[in-house]
Amino acid sequence: MADKAKVTQTTSDEKKDAPILVQMGIFAAVLFVSSLISPLFPPTFPVPVPVIGLVLLYLLLTFHIVKVEWVDKFATFMISLIAFLFVPSGIQLTASLNIMKAQGLQIIIAIIISTVVLLVVVAYTTSFFIWIRKTVFHGDVSVSDEVKK
Amino acid sequence: MSATQTTIITYLGTPIFGICLSILLFLFGQWLFKIGKGFFLFQPLFVGMVLGIFVLWLMAKAFGVDVTWFYTNAYKPGGDIIFWFLNPATIAFAVPLYKRNDIVKRFWLEILISLIVGLFISLFVIYGVSKLLGMDNNGIASMLPQAATTAIAMPISGAIGGTPAITAMACILNAVLIYALATWLIKLFHLTEPIGQGLGLGTAGHTVGSAKALQLSSASGAMAAIAVVIISIVVDLVVPTFANFMGLIK
Repeated sequence: MADKAKVTQTTSDEKKDAPILVQMGIFAAVLFVSSLISPLFPPTFPVPVPVIGLVLLYLLLTFHIVKVEWVDKFATFMISLIAFLFVPSGIQLTASLNIMKAQGLQIIIAIIISTVVLLVVVAYTTSFFIWIRKTVFHGDVSVSDEVKK
Repeated sequence: MSATQTTIITYLGTPIFGICLSILLFLFGQWLFKIGKGFFLFQPLFVGMVLGIFVLWLMAKAFGVDVTWFYTNAYKPGGDIIFWFLNPATIAFAVPLYKRNDIVKRFWLEILISLIVGLFISLFVIYGVSKLLGMDNNGIASMLPQAATTAIAMPISGAIGGTPAITAMACILNAVLIYALATWLIKLFHLTEPIGQGLGLGTAGHTVGSAKALQLSSASGAMAAIAVVIISIVVDLVVPTFANFMGLIK
Protein backbone atom coordinates (compact mmCIF):
# COMPACT_ATOMS: atom_id res chain seq x y z
CA MET A 1 0.00 0.00 0.00
CA ALA A 2 2.67 2.40 1.07
CA ASP A 3 4.83 1.36 -1.90
CA LYS A 4 1.96 1.86 -4.30
CA ALA A 5 1.34 5.35 -2.91
CA LYS A 6 5.01 6.10 -3.36
CA VAL A 7 4.95 4.97 -6.96
CA THR A 8 1.95 7.15 -7.84
CA GLN A 9 3.70 10.01 -6.08
CA THR A 10 6.82 9.70 -8.24
CA THR A 11 4.92 9.30 -11.51
CA SER A 12 2.82 12.33 -10.75
CA ASP A 13 5.96 14.31 -9.99
CA GLU A 14 7.31 13.39 -13.41
CA LYS A 15 4.24 14.87 -15.10
CA LYS A 16 5.29 18.09 -16.74
CA ASP A 17 3.52 21.35 -16.00
CA ALA A 18 2.28 23.03 -19.16
CA PRO A 19 4.09 26.28 -20.07
CA ILE A 20 2.59 29.22 -18.19
CA LEU A 21 1.30 30.89 -21.37
CA VAL A 22 -0.62 27.71 -22.26
CA GLN A 23 -2.08 27.67 -18.74
CA MET A 24 -3.14 31.30 -19.10
CA GLY A 25 -4.59 30.45 -22.50
CA ILE A 26 -6.79 27.74 -20.99
CA PHE A 27 -8.01 30.19 -18.34
CA ALA A 28 -8.70 32.82 -21.00
CA ALA A 29 -10.62 30.32 -23.13
CA VAL A 30 -12.73 29.18 -20.17
CA LEU A 31 -13.46 32.82 -19.27
CA PHE A 32 -14.42 33.59 -22.86
CA VAL A 33 -16.83 30.67 -23.14
CA SER A 34 -18.29 31.58 -19.72
CA SER A 35 -18.86 35.17 -20.84
CA LEU A 36 -20.84 33.77 -23.78
CA ILE A 37 -22.94 31.56 -21.49
CA SER A 38 -23.61 34.13 -18.74
CA PRO A 39 -26.01 36.40 -20.75
CA LEU A 40 -28.19 33.36 -21.51
CA PHE A 41 -29.46 33.41 -17.92
CA PRO A 42 -32.50 35.65 -17.30
CA PRO A 43 -31.95 38.89 -15.31
CA THR A 44 -34.07 37.44 -12.49
CA PHE A 45 -31.61 34.55 -12.12
CA PRO A 46 -28.17 36.07 -12.64
CA VAL A 47 -25.18 33.71 -12.82
CA PRO A 48 -21.93 35.69 -13.13
CA VAL A 49 -19.08 34.75 -15.48
CA PRO A 50 -16.56 33.54 -12.84
CA VAL A 51 -19.13 31.19 -11.24
CA ILE A 52 -19.84 29.60 -14.65
CA GLY A 53 -16.08 29.49 -15.29
CA LEU A 54 -15.39 27.67 -12.03
CA VAL A 55 -18.03 25.03 -12.81
CA LEU A 56 -16.81 24.75 -16.42
CA LEU A 57 -13.15 24.25 -15.50
CA TYR A 58 -14.15 21.81 -12.76
CA LEU A 59 -16.16 19.75 -15.29
CA LEU A 60 -13.30 19.86 -17.82
CA LEU A 61 -10.96 18.53 -15.12
CA THR A 62 -13.41 15.91 -13.85
CA PHE A 63 -14.04 14.52 -17.35
CA HIS A 64 -10.27 14.57 -18.00
CA ILE A 65 -10.61 16.88 -21.00
CA VAL A 66 -8.16 19.24 -19.31
CA LYS A 67 -5.36 17.64 -17.31
CA VAL A 68 -4.68 19.13 -13.89
CA GLU A 69 -1.01 19.81 -14.69
CA TRP A 70 -2.14 22.04 -17.57
CA VAL A 71 -3.70 24.53 -15.14
CA ASP A 72 -2.26 23.74 -11.70
CA LYS A 73 0.60 26.22 -11.54
CA PHE A 74 -1.30 29.27 -12.76
CA ALA A 75 -4.29 28.39 -10.55
CA THR A 76 -2.07 28.15 -7.45
CA PHE A 77 -0.48 31.49 -8.36
CA MET A 78 -3.85 33.23 -8.83
CA ILE A 79 -5.17 31.84 -5.54
CA SER A 80 -2.09 33.11 -3.71
CA LEU A 81 -2.96 36.61 -5.02
CA ILE A 82 -6.61 36.61 -3.86
CA ALA A 83 -6.13 38.86 -0.82
CA PHE A 84 -4.30 41.45 -2.92
CA LEU A 85 -6.87 41.30 -5.72
CA PHE A 86 -9.53 42.24 -3.17
CA VAL A 87 -7.81 45.53 -2.19
CA PRO A 88 -9.59 47.58 -4.92
CA SER A 89 -12.95 46.13 -3.81
CA GLY A 90 -12.19 47.31 -0.29
CA ILE A 91 -11.11 50.75 -1.48
CA GLN A 92 -14.30 50.88 -3.58
CA LEU A 93 -16.06 51.68 -0.28
CA THR A 94 -14.69 55.22 -0.72
CA ALA A 95 -17.54 55.71 -3.18
CA SER A 96 -20.08 54.71 -0.48
CA LEU A 97 -18.73 57.00 2.26
CA ASN A 98 -21.99 59.00 2.33
CA ILE A 99 -24.06 55.83 3.00
CA MET A 100 -21.60 55.04 5.79
CA LYS A 101 -22.05 58.51 7.25
CA ALA A 102 -25.84 58.19 7.28
CA GLN A 103 -26.27 54.74 8.90
CA GLY A 104 -22.75 53.32 8.95
CA LEU A 105 -22.47 51.91 12.45
CA GLN A 106 -25.79 50.03 12.26
CA ILE A 107 -24.87 48.50 8.89
CA ILE A 108 -21.36 47.54 9.96
CA ILE A 109 -22.59 45.85 13.15
CA ALA A 110 -25.22 43.97 11.12
CA ILE A 111 -22.57 42.86 8.60
CA ILE A 112 -20.13 41.71 11.31
CA ILE A 113 -22.85 39.64 13.02
CA SER A 114 -24.08 38.26 9.68
CA THR A 115 -20.57 37.14 8.73
CA VAL A 116 -20.10 35.26 11.99
CA VAL A 117 -23.63 33.80 11.75
CA LEU A 118 -23.06 32.50 8.21
CA LEU A 119 -19.73 30.90 9.16
CA VAL A 120 -20.91 29.29 12.38
CA VAL A 121 -24.41 28.22 11.27
CA VAL A 122 -23.21 26.62 8.03
CA ALA A 123 -20.31 24.89 9.80
CA TYR A 124 -22.51 23.52 12.59
CA THR A 125 -25.30 22.48 10.19
CA THR A 126 -22.77 20.53 8.14
CA SER A 127 -21.33 18.88 11.22
CA PHE A 128 -24.87 17.92 12.22
CA PHE A 129 -25.63 16.24 8.87
CA ILE A 130 -22.27 14.47 8.91
CA TRP A 131 -23.04 13.31 12.44
CA ILE A 132 -26.35 11.91 11.14
CA ARG A 133 -24.51 10.00 8.40
CA LYS A 134 -22.16 8.62 11.02
CA THR A 135 -24.65 7.61 13.73
CA VAL A 136 -27.87 6.88 11.82
CA PHE A 137 -26.44 5.37 8.63
CA HIS A 138 -23.11 4.23 10.16
CA GLY A 139 -21.32 5.80 7.23
CA ASP A 140 -17.62 6.40 7.00
CA VAL A 141 -16.94 10.08 7.63
CA SER A 142 -13.15 10.08 7.87
CA VAL A 143 -11.54 12.63 5.59
CA SER A 144 -7.94 12.07 4.60
CA ASP A 145 -5.69 15.04 4.11
CA GLU A 146 -3.69 13.66 1.20
CA VAL A 147 -3.96 15.58 -2.03
CA LYS A 148 -4.77 13.73 -5.23
CA LYS A 149 -2.23 14.83 -7.79
CA MET B 1 -14.56 71.09 -14.89
CA SER B 2 -12.10 73.07 -12.82
CA ALA B 3 -8.39 73.44 -13.59
CA THR B 4 -7.45 71.21 -10.61
CA GLN B 5 -9.74 68.46 -11.90
CA THR B 6 -8.14 68.61 -15.35
CA THR B 7 -4.67 68.40 -13.77
CA ILE B 8 -5.71 65.41 -11.65
CA ILE B 9 -7.09 63.58 -14.70
CA THR B 10 -3.91 64.33 -16.68
CA TYR B 11 -1.48 63.09 -14.02
CA LEU B 12 -3.47 60.54 -11.98
CA GLY B 13 -6.14 59.48 -14.46
CA THR B 14 -4.04 56.65 -15.93
CA PRO B 15 -4.46 53.15 -14.46
CA ILE B 16 -0.87 53.02 -13.17
CA PHE B 17 -1.62 55.31 -10.19
CA GLY B 18 -4.30 52.97 -8.83
CA ILE B 19 -2.15 49.89 -9.48
CA CYS B 20 0.92 51.37 -7.76
CA LEU B 21 -1.11 52.61 -4.79
CA SER B 22 -2.75 49.18 -4.32
CA ILE B 23 0.55 47.28 -4.52
CA LEU B 24 2.33 49.71 -2.19
CA LEU B 25 -0.41 49.63 0.43
CA PHE B 26 -0.67 45.84 0.30
CA LEU B 27 3.10 45.41 0.64
CA PHE B 28 3.06 47.88 3.54
CA GLY B 29 0.28 45.78 5.07
CA GLN B 30 2.36 42.61 4.69
CA TRP B 31 5.33 44.31 6.34
CA LEU B 32 3.13 45.62 9.17
CA PHE B 33 1.62 42.15 9.63
CA LYS B 34 5.11 40.67 9.90
CA ILE B 35 6.52 43.14 12.43
CA GLY B 36 3.17 43.21 14.30
CA LYS B 37 3.58 39.44 14.86
CA GLY B 38 0.34 38.66 13.07
CA PHE B 39 -1.96 41.04 14.96
CA PHE B 40 -5.35 40.50 13.26
CA LEU B 41 -6.01 44.18 12.48
CA PHE B 42 -2.71 44.28 10.56
CA GLN B 43 -3.94 41.78 7.93
CA PRO B 44 -2.59 43.16 4.60
CA LEU B 45 -6.04 43.26 2.97
CA PHE B 46 -7.53 45.18 5.90
CA VAL B 47 -4.57 47.57 6.11
CA GLY B 48 -4.65 48.13 2.34
CA MET B 49 -8.37 48.86 2.39
CA VAL B 50 -8.41 51.23 5.38
CA LEU B 51 -5.24 53.10 4.39
CA GLY B 52 -6.39 53.24 0.76
CA ILE B 53 -9.66 54.90 1.71
CA PHE B 54 -7.79 57.25 4.05
CA VAL B 55 -5.15 58.19 1.45
CA LEU B 56 -7.77 58.87 -1.23
CA TRP B 57 -9.85 60.92 1.21
CA LEU B 58 -6.76 62.89 2.27
CA MET B 59 -5.69 63.54 -1.35
CA ALA B 60 -9.21 64.61 -2.32
CA LYS B 61 -9.26 67.05 0.60
CA ALA B 62 -5.77 68.35 -0.31
CA PHE B 63 -6.86 68.98 -3.92
CA GLY B 64 -10.19 70.36 -2.75
CA VAL B 65 -12.30 67.95 -4.83
CA ASP B 66 -15.17 65.60 -3.96
CA VAL B 67 -13.97 62.25 -2.52
CA THR B 68 -16.21 60.11 -4.74
CA TRP B 69 -15.14 62.09 -7.81
CA PHE B 70 -11.49 61.65 -6.91
CA TYR B 71 -11.97 57.91 -6.35
CA THR B 72 -13.75 57.43 -9.68
CA ASN B 73 -11.27 59.44 -11.74
CA ALA B 74 -7.93 58.75 -10.07
CA TYR B 75 -8.09 55.35 -8.36
CA LYS B 76 -10.79 53.40 -10.21
CA PRO B 77 -9.02 53.06 -13.62
CA GLY B 78 -6.18 51.12 -11.96
CA GLY B 79 -8.39 49.45 -9.38
CA ASP B 80 -10.61 48.03 -12.13
CA ILE B 81 -7.65 46.32 -13.79
CA ILE B 82 -6.68 44.54 -10.57
CA PHE B 83 -10.34 43.82 -9.87
CA TRP B 84 -10.72 42.12 -13.26
CA PHE B 85 -8.17 39.49 -12.25
CA LEU B 86 -10.64 38.21 -9.65
CA ASN B 87 -12.31 36.47 -12.64
CA PRO B 88 -9.44 34.03 -13.37
CA ALA B 89 -8.68 33.84 -9.63
CA THR B 90 -12.21 32.61 -8.91
CA ILE B 91 -12.03 30.08 -11.75
CA ALA B 92 -8.70 28.86 -10.30
CA PHE B 93 -10.58 27.33 -7.35
CA ALA B 94 -11.76 24.58 -9.73
CA VAL B 95 -8.27 23.05 -9.29
CA PRO B 96 -8.26 22.55 -5.47
CA LEU B 97 -11.88 21.42 -5.82
CA TYR B 98 -10.95 18.82 -8.45
CA LYS B 99 -8.00 17.62 -6.37
CA ARG B 100 -10.41 16.72 -3.56
CA ASN B 101 -13.07 15.23 -5.84
CA ASP B 102 -13.04 12.21 -3.50
CA ILE B 103 -14.82 14.28 -0.83
CA VAL B 104 -17.22 15.87 -3.32
CA LYS B 105 -18.28 12.45 -4.61
CA ARG B 106 -18.78 11.01 -1.12
CA PHE B 107 -20.45 13.96 0.58
CA TRP B 108 -22.34 15.79 -2.19
CA LEU B 109 -25.71 15.18 -0.53
CA GLU B 110 -24.53 16.47 2.87
CA ILE B 111 -22.90 19.48 1.17
CA LEU B 112 -26.07 20.39 -0.70
CA ILE B 113 -28.46 19.90 2.24
CA SER B 114 -26.15 21.67 4.70
CA LEU B 115 -25.78 24.74 2.48
CA ILE B 116 -29.54 25.03 1.86
CA VAL B 117 -30.54 24.43 5.51
CA GLY B 118 -27.62 26.55 6.81
CA LEU B 119 -28.60 29.45 4.57
CA PHE B 120 -32.24 29.26 5.67
CA ILE B 121 -31.31 29.37 9.38
CA SER B 122 -28.83 32.19 8.72
CA LEU B 123 -31.47 34.22 6.85
CA PHE B 124 -33.80 34.07 9.86
CA VAL B 125 -31.00 35.09 12.23
CA ILE B 126 -29.81 37.92 9.95
CA TYR B 127 -33.40 39.12 9.58
CA GLY B 128 -33.88 39.08 13.35
CA VAL B 129 -30.57 40.79 14.11
CA SER B 130 -31.19 43.53 11.51
CA LYS B 131 -34.66 44.09 12.93
CA LEU B 132 -33.25 44.31 16.48
CA LEU B 133 -30.71 46.87 15.30
CA GLY B 134 -33.65 48.97 14.16
CA MET B 135 -33.00 48.74 10.42
CA ASP B 136 -35.85 49.49 8.01
CA ASN B 137 -37.06 47.07 5.30
CA ASN B 138 -34.60 48.57 2.83
CA GLY B 139 -31.67 47.88 5.18
CA ILE B 140 -32.83 44.33 5.96
CA ALA B 141 -33.28 43.54 2.25
CA SER B 142 -29.73 44.78 1.66
CA MET B 143 -28.38 42.35 4.29
CA LEU B 144 -30.09 39.15 3.11
CA PRO B 145 -28.26 38.27 -0.16
CA GLN B 146 -24.72 38.78 1.20
CA ALA B 147 -23.81 35.06 1.23
CA ALA B 148 -23.76 35.09 -2.58
CA THR B 149 -20.85 36.40 -4.57
CA THR B 150 -21.11 40.19 -5.20
CA ALA B 151 -22.23 39.87 -8.83
CA ILE B 152 -25.23 37.77 -7.77
CA ALA B 153 -25.95 39.53 -4.47
CA MET B 154 -26.26 43.04 -5.95
CA PRO B 155 -29.09 42.48 -8.49
CA ILE B 156 -31.01 40.33 -5.97
CA SER B 157 -30.70 43.08 -3.36
CA GLY B 158 -32.20 45.54 -5.84
CA ALA B 159 -34.99 43.11 -6.76
CA ILE B 160 -36.11 42.60 -3.15
CA GLY B 161 -36.11 46.30 -2.29
CA GLY B 162 -32.60 46.71 -0.88
CA THR B 163 -29.77 49.04 -1.85
CA PRO B 164 -27.24 47.17 -4.07
CA ALA B 165 -24.34 49.43 -2.93
CA ILE B 166 -24.88 48.42 0.72
CA THR B 167 -25.06 44.73 -0.28
CA ALA B 168 -21.80 45.09 -2.21
CA MET B 169 -20.27 46.66 0.89
CA ALA B 170 -21.50 43.69 2.95
CA CYS B 171 -19.91 41.20 0.52
CA ILE B 172 -16.59 43.05 0.65
CA LEU B 173 -16.61 43.34 4.44
CA ASN B 174 -17.52 39.62 4.72
CA ALA B 175 -14.31 38.81 2.90
CA VAL B 176 -12.18 41.27 4.85
CA LEU B 177 -13.61 40.10 8.19
CA ILE B 178 -13.16 36.41 7.41
CA TYR B 179 -9.62 37.05 6.21
CA ALA B 180 -8.83 38.87 9.46
CA LEU B 181 -10.83 36.81 11.98
CA ALA B 182 -11.16 33.26 10.54
CA THR B 183 -8.37 31.72 12.63
CA TRP B 184 -9.74 33.24 15.83
CA LEU B 185 -13.39 32.39 15.06
CA ILE B 186 -12.50 28.78 14.23
CA LYS B 187 -10.79 28.44 17.59
CA LEU B 188 -13.61 30.23 19.44
CA PHE B 189 -16.40 28.06 17.99
CA HIS B 190 -14.32 24.84 17.68
CA LEU B 191 -14.96 24.49 13.95
CA THR B 192 -12.43 21.73 13.51
CA GLU B 193 -14.38 19.33 11.28
CA PRO B 194 -12.91 20.12 7.80
CA ILE B 195 -16.08 19.83 5.68
CA GLY B 196 -18.18 22.15 7.84
CA GLN B 197 -15.24 24.48 8.34
CA GLY B 198 -14.68 24.77 4.57
CA LEU B 199 -18.35 25.24 3.70
CA GLY B 200 -18.66 27.90 6.43
CA LEU B 201 -15.58 29.80 5.28
CA GLY B 202 -16.68 29.72 1.63
CA THR B 203 -20.19 30.91 2.51
CA ALA B 204 -19.16 33.69 4.88
CA GLY B 205 -15.93 34.83 3.20
CA HIS B 206 -16.52 34.13 -0.52
CA THR B 207 -13.33 33.60 -2.56
CA VAL B 208 -11.14 35.11 0.17
CA GLY B 209 -12.65 32.61 2.60
CA SER B 210 -11.70 29.84 0.17
CA ALA B 211 -8.10 31.03 0.05
CA LYS B 212 -8.08 31.05 3.86
CA ALA B 213 -9.63 27.56 4.00
CA LEU B 214 -7.01 26.27 1.57
CA GLN B 215 -4.32 27.35 4.04
CA LEU B 216 -5.98 25.21 6.72
CA SER B 217 -6.30 21.98 4.71
CA SER B 218 -6.90 20.79 1.14
CA ALA B 219 -10.24 19.29 2.24
CA SER B 220 -11.39 22.56 3.78
CA GLY B 221 -10.24 24.53 0.71
CA ALA B 222 -12.13 22.29 -1.71
CA MET B 223 -15.29 22.56 0.39
CA ALA B 224 -15.00 26.36 0.49
CA ALA B 225 -14.67 26.47 -3.30
CA ILE B 226 -17.80 24.36 -3.76
CA ALA B 227 -19.64 26.50 -1.17
CA VAL B 228 -18.93 29.68 -3.15
CA VAL B 229 -20.63 28.22 -6.23
CA ILE B 230 -23.54 26.38 -4.62
CA ILE B 231 -24.44 29.07 -2.06
CA SER B 232 -24.58 31.71 -4.80
CA ILE B 233 -27.06 29.64 -6.77
CA VAL B 234 -29.04 28.79 -3.60
CA VAL B 235 -29.20 32.52 -2.72
CA ASP B 236 -30.37 33.16 -6.28
CA LEU B 237 -33.28 30.77 -5.73
CA VAL B 238 -34.08 31.16 -2.02
CA VAL B 239 -33.63 34.82 -1.01
CA PRO B 240 -36.38 36.38 -3.21
CA THR B 241 -38.86 33.78 -1.87
CA PHE B 242 -37.73 34.45 1.70
CA ALA B 243 -38.06 38.22 1.25
CA ASN B 244 -41.53 37.73 -0.21
CA PHE B 245 -42.51 35.49 2.71
CA MET B 246 -41.25 38.07 5.23
CA GLY B 247 -43.23 40.81 3.50
CA LEU B 248 -40.17 42.80 2.40
CA ILE B 249 -41.44 43.12 -1.17
CA LYS B 250 -44.51 45.28 -1.44
